[in-house]
Amino acid sequence: MRKHDFSFGAGDEEENEINLTPMLDVVFIMLIFFIVTASFIKEAGIDVNRPDAPVTETKPEDANILVVITADDQIFIDRRLIDPRAVRANIERLHAENPDGSVVIQASKKSTNKMLVWIMDASRQAGVYNISIADSSA
Amino acid sequence: MRKDKMFGAEEEENEINLTPMLDVVFIMLIFFIVTASFIKEAGIDVDRPDAPSADSQDDAAILIAISANDEIWIDRRETEPNAVRGMIERLHAENPKGSIVIQADEESTNEMLVVVMEAAKQAGVTNVAIAALKD
Repeated sequence: MRKHDFSFGAGDEEENEINLTPMLDVVFIMLIFFIVTASFIKEAGIDVNRPDAPVTETKPEDANILVVITADDQIFIDRRLIDPRAVRANIERLHAENPDGSVVIQASKKSTNKMLVWIMDASRQAGVYNISIADSSA
Repeated sequence: MRKDKMFGAEEEENEINLTPMLDVVFIMLIFFIVTASFIKEAGIDVDRPDAPSADSQDDAAILIAISANDEIWIDRRETEPNAVRGMIERLHAENPKGSIVIQADEESTNEMLVVVMEAAKQAGVTNVAIAALKD
């Protein structure tokens, strides 16, 4: 009765069954391989794009929001020293003046990544998602 | 007939029906094939800076770590700054659609970050992100 699940016709019931064991072996080995190689990494991050030309060559009328990080992690916007907590408000103000401008961060070689990501986060919270990084030799 | 089931006398009743197990195994297999991402991990753990606005980088294929003392780690090996480009080119050839995530330590300098970003650009990878902690 059960044999009818596997048999294709009215022939010899014993001969008509397909041996599933080799396929099962292969499927299990594939399963184990994919379980072992699976890496469920979800890395959070912030996208950056590099400007093609060095920032020093861009003209002032391009009016990007230029944020400078000095070697001792101080932040300058518009030639004024800015407290890290005030970066977002300053970028919001400059972004309102020029909604097309992107943020260009000019980071000193000795400045730390923490301050860079802080500014990138602040500018994203201020609504500017187009962020570029330029290194300065300062 | 049914009484003999436990003692192996009747062949008809003695077989285990493998079909449900096969269904489950195939579904697991398909799940793991679909979710397999083959990310090249960097090999060290770094202190990522906080950034609440960070997005999840779903198509990340290569992770490059920069430690607090400015060592660059790619694919579980420490790499010299001038060898980064070659490593990225080789790994990028294996998975041309993937992007790069740079896991830079909070205390690492931006000099190394720019070196890695420049190498990625020269290797032809335009999609680069900097890792951050979301919360």
